[in-house]
Amino acid sequence: MSSESSKKRKPKVIRSDGAPAEGKRNRSDTEQEGKYYSEEAEVDLRDPGRDYELYKYTCQELQRLMAEIQDLKSRGGKDVAIEIEERRIQSCVHFMTLKKLNRLAHIRLKKGRDQTHEAKQKVDAYHLQLQNLLYEVMHLQKEITKCLEFKSKHEEIDLVSLEEFYKEAPPDISKAEVTMGDPHQQTLARLDWELEQRKRLAEKYRECLSNKEKILKEIEVKKEYLSSLQPRLNSIMQASLPVQEYLFMPFDQAHKQYETARHLPPPLYVLFVQATAYGQACAHMKSSQPPRQDKTLSVAIEGSVDEAKALFKPPEDSQDDESDSDAEEEQTTRRRPTLGVQLDDKRKEMLKRHPLSVMLDLKCKDDSVLHLTFYYLMNLNIMTVKAKVTTAMELITPISAGDLLSPDSVLSCLYPGDHGKKTPNPANQYQFDKVGILTLSDYVLELGHPYLWVQKLGGLHFPKEQPQQTVIADHSLSASHMETTMKLLKTRVQSRLALHKQFASLEHGIVPVTSDCQYLFPAKVVSRLVKWVTVAHEDYMELHFTKDIVDAGLAGDTNLYYMALIERGTAKLQAAVVLNPGYSSIPPVFQLCLNWKGEKTNSNDDNIRAMEGEVNVCYKELCGPWPSHQLLTNQLQRLCVLLDVYLETESHDDSVEGPKEFPQEKMCLRLFRGPSRMKPFKYNHPQGFFSHR
Amino acid sequence: MERAVPLAVPLGQTEVFQALQRLHMTIFSQSVSPCGKFLAAGNNYGQIAIFSLSSALSSEAKEESKKPVVTFQAHDGPVYSMVSTDRHLLSAGDGEVKAWLWAEMLKKGCKELWRRQPPYRTSLEVPEINALLLVPKNSLILAGGDCQLHTMDLETGTFTRVLRGHTDYIHCLALRERSPEVLSGGEDGAVRLWDLRTAKEVQTIEVYKHEECSRPHNGRWIGCLATDSDWMVCGGGPALTLWHLRSSTPTTIFPIRAPQKHVTFYQDLILSAGQGRCVNQWQLSGELKAQVPGSSPGLLSLSLNQQPAAPECKVLTAAGNSCRVDVFTNLGYRAFSLSF
Repeated sequence: MSSESSKKRKPKVIRSDGAPAEGKRNRSDTEQEGKYYSEEAEVDLRDPGRDYELYKYTCQELQRLMAEIQDLKSRGGKDVAIEIEERRIQSCVHFMTLKKLNRLAHIRLKKGRDQTHEAKQKVDAYHLQLQNLLYEVMHLQKEITKCLEFKSKHEEIDLVSLEEFYKEAPPDISKAEVTMGDPHQQTLARLDWELEQRKRLAEKYRECLSNKEKILKEIEVKKEYLSSLQPRLNSIMQASLPVQEYLFMPFDQAHKQYETARHLPPPLYVLFVQATAYGQACAHMKSSQPPRQDKTLSVAIEGSVDEAKALFKPPEDSQDDESDSDAEEEQTTRRRPTLGVQLDDKRKEMLKRHPLSVMLDLKCKDDSVLHLTFYYLMNLNIMTVKAKVTTAMELITPISAGDLLSPDSVLSCLYPGDHGKKTPNPANQYQFDKVGILTLSDYVLELGHPYLWVQKLGGLHFPKEQPQQTVIADHSLSASHMETTMKLLKTRVQSRLALHKQFASLEHGIVPVTSDCQYLFPAKVVSRLVKWVTVAHEDYMELHFTKDIVDAGLAGDTNLYYMALIERGTAKLQAAVVLNPGYSSIPPVFQLCLNWKGEKTNSNDDNIRAMEGEVNVCYKELCGPWPSHQLLTNQLQRLCVLLDVYLETESHDDSVEGPKEFPQEKMCLRLFRGPSRMKPFKYNHPQGFFSHR
Repeated sequence: MERAVPLAVPLGQTEVFQALQRLHMTIFSQSVSPCGKFLAAGNNYGQIAIFSLSSALSSEAKEESKKPVVTFQAHDGPVYSMVSTDRHLLSAGDGEVKAWLWAEMLKKGCKELWRRQPPYRTSLEVPEINALLLVPKNSLILAGGDCQLHTMDLETGTFTRVLRGHTDYIHCLALRERSPEVLSGGEDGAVRLWDLRTAKEVQTIEVYKHEECSRPHNGRWIGCLATDSDWMVCGGGPALTLWHLRSSTPTTIFPIRAPQKHVTFYQDLILSAGQGRCVNQWQLSGELKAQVPGSSPGLLSLSLNQQPAAPECKVLTAAGNSCRVDVFTNLGYRAFSLSF
């Protein structure tokens, strides 16, 4: 095997190493290089795998030779040296081969490196190129979007619609044949048309301006003429005075009243103006009568004008329109040095009224008159009212009607919840705190009631959110409330008078059913009203059968409370009545307690509950003709009827001997109906029988 | 201080009227929806209100969830009786029975699906319907002011039979579960047992004639009825009594003075309600187990929500002479009230 390999190796060695020995010495450098290269070229020709085999083999050989040399040396001997020599030569050859192989390996390595490097550079170049291309693509895309998003100024211009454009634009602008198909040209044409139109409009604008100028000049001239008219008119007025007196036309008197009115504080002034206006409007509506003769509403000013004048002089020269809170401020600061004096004085000062007041007389149809006097509390900036009712005939005052027409309560709750006991101006509370007034209600009898509607008539509106804001009298507020308030006042007086009349009868045990309400009840009613008295609010609250009403919040302290007693035989029906000040738009509310075979109330007898429902919930059918002032009477009469029905239909207890106490006289279709065994409480008018609701 | 004085609630005309209306409201009937989550209640003004039990019972229930989801005018007169089928709510009162679709009732402006009037012999007053009862084979029995029981086929809407026998108007109906028999109790003081197959009266119990339960001062009327197999409990003018039907003998007389308007069997108890604030719970032996006070001065109807579909809404509701429906989550106390 060694010989084989050496044979193989030999030609190589000869080719590489032997060549320079064989070849001519004078070979040029190129030759040298060629030789060098030839070794490089040889690398290509040789198989690296085989080289590796050769390498392994050579190493083995070397090992073997070394081992043999060692062996020989240790043995020692003569011929050993020769053998060793021979073996050394052989090993030298093997070393040569190893060297060669080593060189080859180096060359291969270098070559491999070169190739890798070359390839890498190529890849780098390609990569760079790719990057460039990508960047270019991106840039182009950006350009494209930029182009697409480009906003032209013309898009913001509002153009006339396409149809209008073709209809109105002259053909030399619209050029329909060109622009129809080409949107670009079309837009251009439309823009042209827009420009044209705008030019025209600008022209028109200029014309209008010059026109306006002209008219202004004319107005100026006319104004001059008018101002020259004033002295002439004055002289005519002067001349007409004797004529006025002669003809009893009191224009001047009215004028004087207006003169006085100038000294009214703003809220009273607003009230005065609005009330006068409303009064005149009402008077004019009745055109048949001469104006100012029969007025439903008359307005007058009372009090001393001089005092009013004096009031405004010291602080400043009279400035009527100045808001009063300023004046008030002024006064409190002026008062400060004398703070040490009695608190009473300060209270009086705070509650001071304006010396002037407005009197309003509201006449009702039956000649009763409601006198209202409006005051203005300067320092509190609120208005109050005192009311008085005078009737055409002298009234016999029933005991129970005591509160009906009293100035204290007659106007209470004209609007829901407006009981006029506390100040409507939130700012007042702070003022009260300073002088130790707990509540205004202690003073209302003396000052009058500060109802909310009074403030509104005076144009004062107190927003709850900003209590400190200066409140200025407002005409429109007053005007918007005048008519409804006046109507409410009238209905209130009428309903109170009607109640007054009804109470007079009720106290004598007569239920005064009027003829136009007679159809609501059967002809024969046996139960009788025997008692009608007022009860105090506290007493009402303590009654055991009124708890429901109290719980429902229907028993406020502004209501009036009465107790009625209806009797038939041994049966006694107590009815506790809550009379809302808003009668008759808000019905009186009844709670019942029947004493007959034990005590029966709504909690233990369904039919008592139903009777309450009949008068309280179904009150609308008892109202009678408008304005339903008879409601209370009708409700009481209805209660009498209901009691009759209740007693007569009560089932007779077979176990008790003797005849029924209340024989059935009423005609009923059925006695009981439904799960709660209701009695037939509903009265059917023309036929006269009772049925179930 | 003036600021501290509480403001009197300003009541205008409409507020006063509404307050009075609520004050005089009576809730006659209740019915639980098939899903068990809603409760319908009918009042004396002919309105039906739908309450959501599930939202009122949920943990985040507010005051608003105790108000009706929707209220509508169903009848002209009071709504005396209501029952629910698996899809419809049937309501009756003023002589007519109307059907409403549960699924649509929660919407505004719901119209009735149909309305029927039983063939009455003409009279001046249209007789009322006091009781409705669903019986097998998809039929409905109506009874009330004309002293007769009318059977109505719900499939076709026709009135098929008339059962005559009562001499005064009928208050209540009850079904015997096992045999197709119906009991009716009326103002005439009799409980009559009807065989539905033959349409004949099979048994009559004149309660007021039994001395132990008669109370002449209260009248003879039978206001409520309930059955459980061979047992029947009835009350009204006469005392609340437990009867054995086969032998027609009163077995237990419950010691309560006030006339009872509604009675029902519940597990091994009898629940009854009537005049007075309380829901009474009785042992069958006649012993009063509990009296649970409600918020109304008198009760007219009890309703046990036992729909398996809504186990969380399993409550007892009681209504009567007020605008409130009391809800009892267990039988021990009133949890809260739903209100019109």
